[in-house]
Amino acid sequence: MTEGDSAGDVPGRSRLHAVPPAAPDPRAETDGLLRAVARGDEAAFERLYDIVSPRVYGLARRVLRDPAQAEEVAQEVLVEVWRTAARFDPAKGSATAWVFTIAHRRAVDRVRSEQAGAERTRRVAAGSVETPYDEVAEEAAARLERQQVRHCLDVLTEMQREAITLAYYGGHSYREVAGLLGTALPTVKTRMRDGLIRLRDCLGVEFSR
Amino acid sequence: MTDIHALAGAYVLDAVDDVERAAFVRHLAGCESCALELAEFHETAARLADPTWSVPPPALRTSVLAEMRRTPQERQGPVGRAARGRAGGWRRRAAVAAAAVLLVGGAGTATWTVQEQRVRDARTEAGAARDEAGRIRAVLAAPDAVVRTGAVPAGGRLTVVASPSRNEGVALLDGLTVPAAGRAYQLWLIDGATATSAGVLPAGRGGGSTLLSGVRGKGLLGVTEEPAGGSARPTMTPLVAVALA
Repeated sequence: MTEGDSAGDVPGRSRLHAVPPAAPDPRAETDGLLRAVARGDEAAFERLYDIVSPRVYGLARRVLRDPAQAEEVAQEVLVEVWRTAARFDPAKGSATAWVFTIAHRRAVDRVRSEQAGAERTRRVAAGSVETPYDEVAEEAAARLERQQVRHCLDVLTEMQREAITLAYYGGHSYREVAGLLGTALPTVKTRMRDGLIRLRDCLGVEFSR
Repeated sequence: MTDIHALAGAYVLDAVDDVERAAFVRHLAGCESCALELAEFHETAARLADPTWSVPPPALRTSVLAEMRRTPQERQGPVGRAARGRAGGWRRRAAVAAAAVLLVGGAGTATWTVQEQRVRDARTEAGAARDEAGRIRAVLAAPDAVVRTGAVPAGGRLTVVASPSRNEGVALLDGLTVPAAGRAYQLWLIDGATATSAGVLPAGRGGGSTLLSGVRGKGLLGVTEEPAGGSARPTMTPLVAVALA
């Protein structure tokens, strides 16, 4: 990912250009790519794949706790993105939100299907811990985004954070979350909504049509 | 804020079941101010994927691109685009969801109140909820599922989806007159002269829904008003009854 940074330094030049080029607006880029994909642009799909697949796969793995199933779900999601790209409407949200809405829903559907549910329960009951995929790479811009999300999760109250992470990363329904936390259902619903509001404000998410 | 709107957070986090999702989507259709909040929530929730960033196995790229090349794309003309409702493109419309919309009908308040009564042991409840949600989804998706509705003369409606092959069904009561203090609505599976209790709504509730077991061979599902907690046998002629097959 870091091209021309260490190898073959040109004397007198290499350190003068340490300022990174202005990052392209990722939203504009992914929106444009997804619209190109909707027109059948295979190259755009490849580029979009490279941008979103680490998060589609990572999210599926986080929810499913199983690399093999995560890979299957990631494949389903990415092919669905290709197949249904014409449904994306930039007036209704960003391309990344569109992609991750599909990805999260697919992962949750899978985790709630009876077979996967039983399998996961067994695995959790057996106390086994997920084996991290051994190669986890990092990339500067994405890292900043991740830090921002982590920081904003820290801004939530403990109870809001628990409710949101159990639902989003754990794939649990709010009923299950209520059961796990020993909390009344209306309280859990409120924590999820209030937590999202606080998270939205912290992340500076604004929706412009 | 209505009861259903409180589900906005859970809805965006995919933490609702199919029937609640359908009810919420229905609520959205009549709630202009919700659309903006929902759009922002979707953007916010999507950011939660950021920290999960993990390099996928290289083989994934190869197989996704290969499948992409042999997968035809959906085409959506301007007419289809305009005809699609707000936020319509955001969710996959599974057959289950369509069935759920049908089931929910005019009710904006499909709450699983019957189930809420049983919040006791956290673990059992979580497991039971998942189990019940799965069974409800299976009923709604069953190829032989039959939907029947009946109006209650004093107001409200009983809707039943029954699947003989699964021997299960889903009943939904909505818009019934709130019963007097100490009274509750009770559901009955009726087979000839025999009535078996199929669940009691919490006292004071005019709507709710529940999973029905053992529908096969039963003729009708009926509703009566009984003392809170339910009766062993119906104490009145059903207010409404619908056929199960």
